[in-house]
Amino acid sequence: MLFPADFLTRLEYLSIMSKRVFRGSLLAQRRTMQMGSGIEFSDHREYTPGDDLRYLDWNIYARHGDLLLKRFQEEQDLRVYLMLDCSRSMAFGQPAKFDLARQLTAALAYIALADLDRIAVVAYADGVIREFPVTRGKARILPLMRFLEDLSTTGQDTHLARAVQGVLHRGARTGLAVVISDLFDEHGFEGGLDQLRYRRFDAHVLQLHDPQEADPGLLGDIELEDIETESVQMVTVTEKNMRAYRQLFQQHQHAVRDYCASYNLGITQSPSTVAFDDLVINMMRASSAGSPSRT
Amino acid sequence: MSFAVPLAWALLAIAIPIIALYVLKVRLRRVKVSTNLFWKQVYEEKPPRAWWQNLRHLLSLLAQLLILLMLVSAVADPFFHWQSKQARRIVVVLDTSSSMKATDEYPTRFESARAAVHQLFDGLRFRDEVAIVAAGSRPEVVLGMASHTPTLRRALDSVQASDNNGCLSDAILLGQRLIGQHPAGEILVFSDGCQTDIESSSQLSEASKTETTPTDETQSVRIQFFNFATAAGNVGITQFQTRRSLVDPIGYQILLSVQNHSNIAVQGRVELTLSGSPIDVLPLKLQPDELWIRTLEKTSLAGGPLEAKLVELTRLQPETTSGSSATTQPAAGNASGINALTTDDQAWAMVPPRQVQNVLTVTRGNLFLQKVFEANPLVNLTVTDVLPTAWPTDAIIVLHRQMPANVPAGRVLVIDPETDTNLWTIGDLIQNPIITEQDTQSPLMTHIRMDNVLIPDARRLTFPNSVQSLASTLDGDSILTIVPRTEGNCLVLGVNLERSDLAFRTAFPILVTNALAWFAGQSGEVERSWNAGQIASLSPDNFPTEATAFTLLSPNNRLSAVVGSQVGPLDEVGMWRIVTVDAEAQNKNTNQVDQSRPVIQWLPVNLSDSAESDLRPRRLDGDSAGGDSATKDMSASGRSSSWFSGWLSRPLWFYLAMMATFFVAAEWVLYQRRWIS
Repeated sequence: MLFPADFLTRLEYLSIMSKRVFRGSLLAQRRTMQMGSGIEFSDHREYTPGDDLRYLDWNIYARHGDLLLKRFQEEQDLRVYLMLDCSRSMAFGQPAKFDLARQLTAALAYIALADLDRIAVVAYADGVIREFPVTRGKARILPLMRFLEDLSTTGQDTHLARAVQGVLHRGARTGLAVVISDLFDEHGFEGGLDQLRYRRFDAHVLQLHDPQEADPGLLGDIELEDIETESVQMVTVTEKNMRAYRQLFQQHQHAVRDYCASYNLGITQSPSTVAFDDLVINMMRASSAGSPSRT
Repeated sequence: MSFAVPLAWALLAIAIPIIALYVLKVRLRRVKVSTNLFWKQVYEEKPPRAWWQNLRHLLSLLAQLLILLMLVSAVADPFFHWQSKQARRIVVVLDTSSSMKATDEYPTRFESARAAVHQLFDGLRFRDEVAIVAAGSRPEVVLGMASHTPTLRRALDSVQASDNNGCLSDAILLGQRLIGQHPAGEILVFSDGCQTDIESSSQLSEASKTETTPTDETQSVRIQFFNFATAAGNVGITQFQTRRSLVDPIGYQILLSVQNHSNIAVQGRVELTLSGSPIDVLPLKLQPDELWIRTLEKTSLAGGPLEAKLVELTRLQPETTSGSSATTQPAAGNASGINALTTDDQAWAMVPPRQVQNVLTVTRGNLFLQKVFEANPLVNLTVTDVLPTAWPTDAIIVLHRQMPANVPAGRVLVIDPETDTNLWTIGDLIQNPIITEQDTQSPLMTHIRMDNVLIPDARRLTFPNSVQSLASTLDGDSILTIVPRTEGNCLVLGVNLERSDLAFRTAFPILVTNALAWFAGQSGEVERSWNAGQIASLSPDNFPTEATAFTLLSPNNRLSAVVGSQVGPLDEVGMWRIVTVDAEAQNKNTNQVDQSRPVIQWLPVNLSDSAESDLRPRRLDGDSAGGDSATKDMSASGRSSSWFSGWLSRPLWFYLAMMATFFVAAEWVLYQRRWIS
């Protein structure tokens, strides 16, 4: 069962943990990068004609004769976009990565809703395939769970960039974007994340993989069937090939991690065998420590 | 080409499941993966399942089918017709003489020879037949003609080196009989060449031609010698015998000879022990090839096993300043190569025991008679001048002149009887009798000559019953007579001791000593030491009558039953024993004998063979007059021979099996290439 009977209880527990232990470091109470009419001072800038004289720092002018304008950080409710990978590769594993991804989506959404943030869930594969529109309030968790239960893996050509583009075309406001995926994207995961960065989204990547993907343990003459593209490859797997595979997989994981680190994006990498609540707690712990999370 | 087991070709049906499994195997296992992203990169440089990889599978199938074909062919046991015609009949003559125990070859000559024979078995050709003959003191066929190598190896391993001397010529002749008229017969002699019965191979060839049926076939038997010997030195006891002294009743003589069979001067000691107690230590200094012989006089009443042992043998080096003295090197005998054989370092002999005898002498007085008994330490003498009323049963009775009417029962020596008895009648005096007839075979007359004894007169005795005359006059009158009786032997000497000079002669004490030994039932002074490998003759008459069964115990406590008057061959050096066996143990037929049982007879056995002690091999040089014998030096580095290279001389099935093994290896490589990089 995707959402067992105690699922909501566990979500509530995570919500409390988020507020009290990690002080909303994961999602809630985050400040936007927008400058505006808030009450919290941010910095100064040079006065230019036409600026609102109400924000002129008269104290500095009196002391030094410089015209500097005070800037305030604008407070606005956070929009959290949960981008769920629904490609067929997510159906791989035991349990399937897709199940854990949906549970994580539900958990993160609940934590955000509990903090009065607005959330939207975007299911994507070749592009955006379904969308749970922006909503707020804890009461919306149940429709969201139904939405998630109805989702299934699909598509033959995972394309994160196309999906992000679709989200942006729908007029999404800047906010927090959490990409929950295995990032097995033949077009490259960087394109989609780049677009999010360019549009000043706070992006967080939650990369899942099955242990069998890290080390398939295959040897001999076999036919490899890609469950996403259904393409078949006849290969003779030797120990040497296996070593090369493991090395490539780790390189991919490193590449994702390095990309996120270089652009200050949040990153959580975990096998799909970890329980969703443990994974969320690990994410919160890593976010509060400011380091990428790996399980 | 023919096949010994053509039915084996039916096993080729196994190819069907092999091909079926191959066909099934090429339908690959399908594995679902989440993405081919990484696999594509893995096989980016090398296209997956290239054409030669498919070929590799085909090669695998081919290898498997070839393995099957080779194995089935091997089981079918193919052979060429010429192979059966060229099969050889080989007789391995393995020298088991004691010199083969020499340690100049590691571990021994015999073990080296045995290893070489094992190597020979490795190189046997298809359908070759081999017999094994052990050449001990008498040849023994260990295994008749056989071609089953494990059987040959087991038979070979059962052969052990003995302490016997060797007799190669008999073994070779036996081998020739085993080969018979086979056209490709060969005799391979594995020996150290220390036998005297074969001085050269040409001599052997001549001997074989004369001893065997002189047919063309037997003459074609080829004889090859493989020598396992170095010119190792050895010092050994070559003779060790004892005998009781002729003049001293408790004395005995030891004949001991030691020979240095080396090119090095040695020194050492000979330790002599009697019944475990040391009796003498003799220093030895032996020049190369010197024979050292000594005769030693010792005394012992009890006698017992006598043992001689060579100890502390070291190299003797003359001093450079003076030639008279010598210095020694600390090197031990074996290490310095001067004593490579230990079998002849010890020798055993038996000193017969002497028993004290009670002698009752009835005489009115004769000093010589009394003294001749008193001087004998084996005599417990009682002298009386009157005839006793009761005669002792445990004593030898000596009646001098005085005679009872009836000669008492038991062992009686009568000297110069004056009156008639129940055994004889006194006649007139014989004046100046001359003894012309002597029974030299009788133990009573040993070392005695009475023909020159001056006898003025003697009693003419008439015996009503038949008697045995030991010494008689020209007229046939008996002077020394044995009167056989059921109640005890009686010896009658009809010489007047006072008037004749017999009492002054050495013959008299010898005669008395002989008589005492004869009465005691002692057969002689000598209990000989036997040579190893000999068959010993026993005197069952001396065995206790209350025992019904006897057994022979070797020095290593090996049991063998005593049947008849001969035992042996005595193939171990040391003291053999004959003991009684309980009826119960005999019924149980056990191999255990109570070691504490009294020994009835000791049989000392020594190597005592100079030829075996001399470890330096006689050259059996390849003087093959008829081209039918040759010698190969197998000592040290000379062990290379076509005989011992087994390759290319195996049956076809062996090569087929080897080829199958090769294909198994090839398939294994292909398998590994498929599965493991």
